Amino acid sequence: MKEKILQILADLRAYAIGKGIEATFFYHEEDSYLMRFANSAISLNTNEHLIRLEITAYEGRKRASYALITDLGKLEEMKQGIDIAGEMVKHAQPLNYDPTIPVYTETFVDEGGFDPALASLSNEERLAYFNRLAGNLETNDVKLGGIFSSGSNIVAAANTRSEHSIYIKTSDAQVTAVLSHAKLKWEVIAEQSAWQKSDLTPEALHDDLAFLLERYQNDAPQQIPLGRYDIVFGPAATGDLISFMNWIGFSGGALKRGFSCLKEEQVGQKVFSDKFTLLDEPARLETFPSKIDLMGIKRSTFPLIENGVFKGFTWYQDDADEFGAQPTGHTVMHKSLWLKPGDFPAATLRELIEQPRDNDILYIPYLHYMNLVNPSKGVVTASSRFGALLLKKDGSIVVPYNVRVTQSLFDIFGDKVAWMSKAETVNNTSSSYGARNPTSVILPTFIRVNDLEISHSNSSY
Amino acid sequence: MLKDLKQQIERLRAAGATYVDARWYPYEESNALTMWNGNLKDASSSRESGVGIRVLYKGAWGFSASSDVSNPTGLFDKAFDNARISAERVTFPIRLAEKDALQATFNSPTKIDPFVVSLSDKISFLKEMDEKLNQPGVLQRVGELIFMRKQIVFVDSEGSEIEKNIVEVFPGIMVMGVDEQGVSHQRSFSPGRIADTRGWETIDRGIFLENAERIVREMKEVLVADECPKEDRSVILLPGIMFLQTHETIGHALELDRILGYELAYAGGSFVTLDDFGKLRYGSPKLTARADATLTNTPGSFGYDDDGVPAQDNLLIDKGILVGAITGRQMVEEANARAKKQIFKGSSGANRATAFYRVPIERMTNINIDPGEDGTLDDIVKSTERGIILDGTKSWSIGSNREQFHFATDIGWLVEDGKIQQVVKNSTYKGDTLKFYNSLSAVGDKSTWQVEYVNNCGKGQPNQIMQLGHGVPVCRFDNVRIGE
Repeated sequence: MKEKILQILADLRAYAIGKGIEATFFYHEEDSYLMRFANSAISLNTNEHLIRLEITAYEGRKRASYALITDLGKLEEMKQGIDIAGEMVKHAQPLNYDPTIPVYTETFVDEGGFDPALASLSNEERLAYFNRLAGNLETNDVKLGGIFSSGSNIVAAANTRSEHSIYIKTSDAQVTAVLSHAKLKWEVIAEQSAWQKSDLTPEALHDDLAFLLERYQNDAPQQIPLGRYDIVFGPAATGDLISFMNWIGFSGGALKRGFSCLKEEQVGQKVFSDKFTLLDEPARLETFPSKIDLMGIKRSTFPLIENGVFKGFTWYQDDADEFGAQPTGHTVMHKSLWLKPGDFPAATLRELIEQPRDNDILYIPYLHYMNLVNPSKGVVTASSRFGALLLKKDGSIVVPYNVRVTQSLFDIFGDKVAWMSKAETVNNTSSSYGARNPTSVILPTFIRVNDLEISHSNSSY
Repeated sequence: MLKDLKQQIERLRAAGATYVDARWYPYEESNALTMWNGNLKDASSSRESGVGIRVLYKGAWGFSASSDVSNPTGLFDKAFDNARISAERVTFPIRLAEKDALQATFNSPTKIDPFVVSLSDKISFLKEMDEKLNQPGVLQRVGELIFMRKQIVFVDSEGSEIEKNIVEVFPGIMVMGVDEQGVSHQRSFSPGRIADTRGWETIDRGIFLENAERIVREMKEVLVADECPKEDRSVILLPGIMFLQTHETIGHALELDRILGYELAYAGGSFVTLDDFGKLRYGSPKLTARADATLTNTPGSFGYDDDGVPAQDNLLIDKGILVGAITGRQMVEEANARAKKQIFKGSSGANRATAFYRVPIERMTNINIDPGEDGTLDDIVKSTERGIILDGTKSWSIGSNREQFHFATDIGWLVEDGKIQQVVKNSTYKGDTLKFYNSLSAVGDKSTWQVEYVNNCGKGQPNQIMQLGHGVPVCRFDNVRIGE
């Protein structure tokens, strides 16, 4: 298959050169499987095999692109796509900068993140996994929901400037398991991310769900008072916060356009807690990494925040072209974010609860529907969901109704950070809008942040 | 192709499938142009085609899709196999509400197909807007044109055969500036749907030029404005934010699959229960909301849904009382069975998929608020003692059961004693859904009613982006927390 894809890219390159069209080719192939559960049944079982080809044509400073969903057997259709892009670019308007067309100096093939056993999971295996994680936890009122999403991804690229190509193949799985009460409307959650089959351990999810379920089934929920709380965020909540920080913080293009919460003068300055070190680390296979970007720049460890100090912006090639900056190897579908762990000993929720407490702690595992209230100041808002707990100083535990947090990322990850756990969790942040793009963030399993405000507290679910 | 599909449907029926349908997209095309500070950053087109197959077997769904239609037998078999494994975990065997078998065609009303308009003409429009927006104080200026065109052929095992030809046009402009504190502020404009068509002819240069001037002026006013106060006030929502309020806290809350728990693991549920229909006071008597897929000029109108059910105009909230939901064939049967009574008489025709490779789910059509009898915007302002007028969709975040919300808007105008006093920046408001709608104290008349569109509504797993509309008037709500 790899040889066939590379040959097609070579054929397309030759065709474009023959037509006098300067072009780049981006190939994306996904084999996607999704088993969805709701109300303790399989509510959807689907698979899609899709090949997307994006052709970008250049004529001096002019640029235009044409994308199609196609098949490997439709070379003529792909060539027509080149003709269309070539025709479009004639009518495009010149940019006021020179767009870079990559020159690959060698062919780069990476299949290190591909596990054939994970990519070829059967329907029966997916169902068995869910049956194991849910074992004995469902009742007439407590229903199982969630997804088992798995598949494989091939990203390949070529261009008319060089004979070489890029080919990256990965496998991935994302599991979300939810137990919800049909009448009372609460839910608890457990999640798992995998790049290889051996990462899949349904027993771990069963333990997490069983523990939360015991609390939610037996304890009466309460509306907690508004005010300031010491909060421990779980990996899904932290993963969302880090993803938002990545969205509005690190892009050089966003900085130049006035959309970034980090400013040029903050490079080299301490802006977050000294416990906070965030890397773009393509060596970690759990992040479904690209070890080379689409411009042919080899990627290695890129520190974003080191002990709270902002190390610098990342540059997508087109932004670097427009603003005269040096590209940083970030013309990729996603970064490989790794928030380095701390030294707090709790690795599981059980262990967190068993730790002595100097104050009440609000545990928020998941933040729902996060959005940007003030991007320039890094202010986000979201609601708790899926198994929050108020861990009282006296050792008791209260099940709270959901609450809203509206805070600046600088507050959340600033000097109020009390500790981060030594244990790490891979939080799968994949979105399946459009083409498959498996993404995850490696995080401390728990992060405690003191003195954060709860601005809204529900009186029911 | 159609003959092949019908043969395969018959084959699976003979093999034991209860129901089979196929959605064949001979083509779906898009064209997107983005001009950013004078640079044509995006000039792109795309085309795709393929088939999605849905099979119901022993009360469970299986789905399969591919752009490769050379082996229809394999594709149908995959969908059937997926249904077989689903049938191993069934708690409520799926039944489909009755419908008529239809042979029909729907064409969205279009005078000028945007795909026959030259690229040069489209770029010329964007350049004209860019020049208009290029004013002192404007740091970023963006013009965008998105066009879609698709043909969908639907056939099912109940004898339906429906062809849809749909064209959509989504234009918009935006400006952004930065205030003295380094905080960015933006204003944008996307035209409401005025005429009866949906093609290139809906892009009115005059309206765009007029609004380009307005959004630059308003953005500059925001840059030097005071902060929005943190207090309780009446909020007067213009259609530019009322449509999103409606979308998030009426539309999504009344999707029947959410109410029944089918989205609990991801998008969330709904505070609404089956017991609430016909009884729950959702809002004040001034609130009447409907799902109207018969409006001619919006993307929430599509002739027939992806169950093959015709477009309808259904009441959701009647003078404040909850009476209806957004439904497809599967969910109404399950809801009636669970409630042990007939809440829903049949599908409301709202089951849609975003592409051939996605499965249909309950989606909003045009979720509208009926105009009221409280006059014009001026009339509503005059009758407001202490309020704030809000417009623009800066940020929105909703509780997982749609029970509470937080919105930030692009601009606010404080109102004191019936008069507009000053612009404020960083305006926000929040509330609990039922309390908020029950505080609805004024609904503007037809002069304030505007059809806004949404071209990026996300739902489902795998995620699906859907296009739809909202016809909404100016509305006023009392005692709302702002500025937090």
